[in-house]
Amino acid sequence: MFVEVAKVQDLLPGGMKMVKAGSDEIVLCNSAGNIYALDRRCGHMNSGLEWGSLDGDILTCPFHHVQFDITTGEALNVPIPDYVPDPLPENWSRFLNYQDNLTRHISICDIGTYTTKIEGDRIMVDIDSRKSSHKCF
Amino acid sequence: MEVESRKKALHYFFEKVVGPMGYKFAPDAELVDFLLTQEVELERKLGSPFCPCQARVGRRADDMRVVCPCIPFHREHYDYMKRCWCGLYVLKDETSVEDLPQIPYSEFLRRTGKIVR
Repeated sequence: MFVEVAKVQDLLPGGMKMVKAGSDEIVLCNSAGNIYALDRRCGHMNSGLEWGSLDGDILTCPFHHVQFDITTGEALNVPIPDYVPDPLPENWSRFLNYQDNLTRHISICDIGTYTTKIEGDRIMVDIDSRKSSHKCF
Repeated sequence: MEVESRKKALHYFFEKVVGPMGYKFAPDAELVDFLLTQEVELERKLGSPFCPCQARVGRRADDMRVVCPCIPFHREHYDYMKRCWCGLYVLKDETSVEDLPQIPYSEFLRRTGKIVR
């Protein structure tokens, strides 16, 4: 079922926008005039992807810089390690080791995509069309 | 993560970085494909697409100088060789990487008179 989620003028080329369609949180992406709709949450640690950056068909998560192909939802890389100053105070170092132990086994999963269409100035998303490969690594 | 998809993404991003510096991917598609595959493997293991042809020393400040494309950190040296160390990139007017030998950094310094022996 197609529902209106935004107006065409809300989404300039290269832009992203978070919308809600029913209970789904979706991020709309405008890549060179083509509109794509994907799960809003990153397949790594659930960050809101609309705060990331869109370059061509590649969306980069703002949190750990995992990238996704917006045409397929495929996750393209592993998280990029943050810069850590060296030497670190010992309590920081212990905290980061702890955090690292908690997060090192988190998988990175492909995200879902939706079918979109434009009707007049309305962007429509088929909320029943969510597709995901369910692949994680 | 499919290796081919990641290679395509790296190719897309790297081209945007090296182009304005006067470089392009080497005309040898097989070499480019092989080197990008190695970079994808290194990225998967270490988090960054390190140059597959240069050693990492374990100090971040030094290791970041060999994350591909590392041209900005070795600009004079690579401009002199007309290629990057791996041969993944060559200057835009070059048609082959095979005619462009690797020149060790010490030899580059000697030839250009940057150190006097």
